Amino acid sequence: MASVSIRIAAANGDGVDSSGALLGKVAALHGLEVFGNRGYQSVIRGGHVWNQVRMGDEKLYSYGDKIDILVTLNQDGIKNQKGHLGDNAIVIYDPSKCNVDEIKGSSFKLLPMPLLDMAVAAGGDPIMRNMVAIGAILKIVGIPLSVLEGIITKMFSKKGDEVVKSNIKAATDGYNYKGVEKAYDIKGDGKPRYLLEGNIALALGAYAAGCKYYAAYPMTPASSIMQWYAAHANKGAFMKQTEDEISAINSTIGAATAGVRAMCGTSGGGFSLMVEALGFSGMIEAPIVVVESQRTGPSTGLPTKTEQADLLFVMHASQGEFPRIVMAPRSVEEAFYLAANAFNLADRYQCPVIIMMDLFLSEHFETVSGFDVDSIKIDRGKIADPAKTQGRFKRYELTEDGISPRSMPGTKGMSFIAPSDEHNEHGDIVSDVLAGIDEHIEMRIKMHEKRMRKITTMLKNEDVFVPNIQNDGAKHFMVTFGSTTEVANEAMIALNKKGLDVGLISFNYLMPLDAKKTKEMLSGKHLIDIECNFTAQLAKVIMMETGIEMPDKILKYDGETLNCSEIVERITPMLK
Amino acid sequence: MPQNYSNGVKPIFCPGCGDFGVYAGLTKAFQDLNIDKDNLLVVTGIGCSSSIVQAFGCYGIHSLHGRLLPVAMGAKLANHDLTVVGVGGDGDGYGIGSAHFLHTARRNINITYIVMNNETYGLTTGQASPTGLKGYKTKSTPFGIIENPLNPLAVAIGAGATYVARGFSGDPMHLAELIKNGITHKGFSLIDVFSPCVTFNYLNTYDWFRSRVYKMDSNSHNVSDKSAALKKAVEDEETDYEKLPLGLFYKTDKPIYEDLDITLKDGPLIKQPMPTKEKILELLGENQ
Repeated sequence: MASVSIRIAAANGDGVDSSGALLGKVAALHGLEVFGNRGYQSVIRGGHVWNQVRMGDEKLYSYGDKIDILVTLNQDGIKNQKGHLGDNAIVIYDPSKCNVDEIKGSSFKLLPMPLLDMAVAAGGDPIMRNMVAIGAILKIVGIPLSVLEGIITKMFSKKGDEVVKSNIKAATDGYNYKGVEKAYDIKGDGKPRYLLEGNIALALGAYAAGCKYYAAYPMTPASSIMQWYAAHANKGAFMKQTEDEISAINSTIGAATAGVRAMCGTSGGGFSLMVEALGFSGMIEAPIVVVESQRTGPSTGLPTKTEQADLLFVMHASQGEFPRIVMAPRSVEEAFYLAANAFNLADRYQCPVIIMMDLFLSEHFETVSGFDVDSIKIDRGKIADPAKTQGRFKRYELTEDGISPRSMPGTKGMSFIAPSDEHNEHGDIVSDVLAGIDEHIEMRIKMHEKRMRKITTMLKNEDVFVPNIQNDGAKHFMVTFGSTTEVANEAMIALNKKGLDVGLISFNYLMPLDAKKTKEMLSGKHLIDIECNFTAQLAKVIMMETGIEMPDKILKYDGETLNCSEIVERITPMLK
Repeated sequence: MPQNYSNGVKPIFCPGCGDFGVYAGLTKAFQDLNIDKDNLLVVTGIGCSSSIVQAFGCYGIHSLHGRLLPVAMGAKLANHDLTVVGVGGDGDGYGIGSAHFLHTARRNINITYIVMNNETYGLTTGQASPTGLKGYKTKSTPFGIIENPLNPLAVAIGAGATYVARGFSGDPMHLAELIKNGITHKGFSLIDVFSPCVTFNYLNTYDWFRSRVYKMDSNSHNVSDKSAALKKAVEDEETDYEKLPLGLFYKTDKPIYEDLDITLKDGPLIKQPMPTKEKILELLGENQ
């Protein structure tokens, strides 16, 4: 497999992200696999930001350990990125903006380009420095300029011919600049791919599943879901920006009770505000989907950095007990399918479903060849039939499987009360004048057991609540959940190449867990827990569900993602 | 044949509670308007007043303390063919739920919000409420309230509510008219109701209210004049709570959220079709 990692570094406002996105797009259209990521700060202008695009001729599982090509638009780019450069990295810089004294005499290949002057010469706008650099990069990695020209024409056509022409000229000048030579030979298969961030894949999956209502309060890194819904409001994707996350989730519960597939999303801070209503949805059995995209905590923490430290919180948030489903997509592609499935599960089991994302998964981008839209089947679960309903409708009918057929407001003769208090089969509360009276104590037991029985039913009817195993039969297994899985997969391939017998067990559904099957899978294996938090929360879940301990752990909580070489380095001493 | 809006469950109010007057007023409003009870959704919060939802034979959500407006909003936005009525207390709406009160008002969503304002926390056995008057001694203010009371009418007018009225549970027929007009009003309507708590509020009793309330005269008060409405709304304070006007303070016709929203223009969300494969692929295609 051949791949190259390109990082563009500059200040916020210099067009770093759009350049990375454009570069990724070119590669995806050329038929390459792309995996990208961005590093940014909680600042609108200035600071130091980067965007890394890795392209390769096979499926990629990370954005790469080391930078192969660095483009820096300022001095910070040299200072902050030199430690991330690969041994033979090419460093493209503008000598009018930065000097390279601090990396002189290294093995790096320095490529000075008057990016600003060339941008000005091509059309005048300094932002076109990026286009000059992208032209040069395409030459280095061996992608024909024509791919970029096509995209530029499409992208800027609304801005007029002049803008198209000057951008093409900037890219062409960069491509042809003396000293810029082809250094990589990565051949695309010519099949264009889609390039998506995790949140966009999730939003698309929700939309495909018929989620018509999304409510949120702006919060990184969940906001791009809100913005996707808002941008597609004319395509049936309703979005309500609310005054806070409390309102977001409560309105979602209202919408779901009214019969529409509904979702809200936030990060850990906002989820903290949603907790009371999460229990409310559990109590009234409202089928809602909640996205929790984790960032480095606690408190405001590092708002632009990633972590997986909300797992136990999300699994146990709220007073009291009620069934909930917690899932954690392992890749951008999986975010689409899991989001779609979340709505079927919510409707089938009439309970909240929480999709655990994190900043890295929400915001990094990957290529996908497409989505199997035909595989998305909408199942609204048990809906009561008015023709078969006699007398006052029992919305919370005590059933064997714990699922009570529901009705939607507007249906004739099927009214009910959905109460946050404990209630009987009609939804009449048993919490005030009836509390403590024998027959109503009995009802509390029956109703609580009815709700909790849904866990047994979902474990019986669904086959997803077990981890996934790769290299079954290996001597050692990495154990991951969610977004850490892909890079562990890359590490597994690297370790296998070194002759080390390592497999991977990854969780994409965390609650409920089929404890018996999970135990069967994990028993007798040497397990190494890998997760991005301090307290090894996945290991705790596994211990709680199966009794299996994992003394070997690779934990990370610096706000950055794990990379392949870091896993390889840290795991090697554990592989005895 | 008139519809029956009772399901046989009784609210938990104390004997003599003002909330019975609101129950009567609401029921009369529903009856007079002959609202299709299969298409009626009553959403309440938590507190004595909120138990009222249990008594109606329509669809109901008995939500969390302070959260009835977001729940009502979500339901209305999901299916704006429903008649959605929010009912709660002053602690619920003006205390813990105050942010939702402001923002639901300014959105001008077509829901009717009735607040049973007894100026105390009843169900938690008598603590100070946001509308409790200065000096009033409660379990949580044994030396008297030192905060200024919230003025829900002025707040609602300021926040953008398009129908703002006040009734008195001692006059359920008058209240029923205010509620009816609130329900038929297109936009967010607030009906604040003086609703005496006979158990815990020794200050704001029926007699106390009866000697102070008066009905506004439509000849002397122009309900479409916002400044005049605000002036009326602060009359309580300006008369040191000696004169408490009842009736419609403010009414204006403004476009409602449901008519302005680009998605809802195509009809209630619940009636909109699920996306086709072509549509999904089209949106995926934006990422190429």
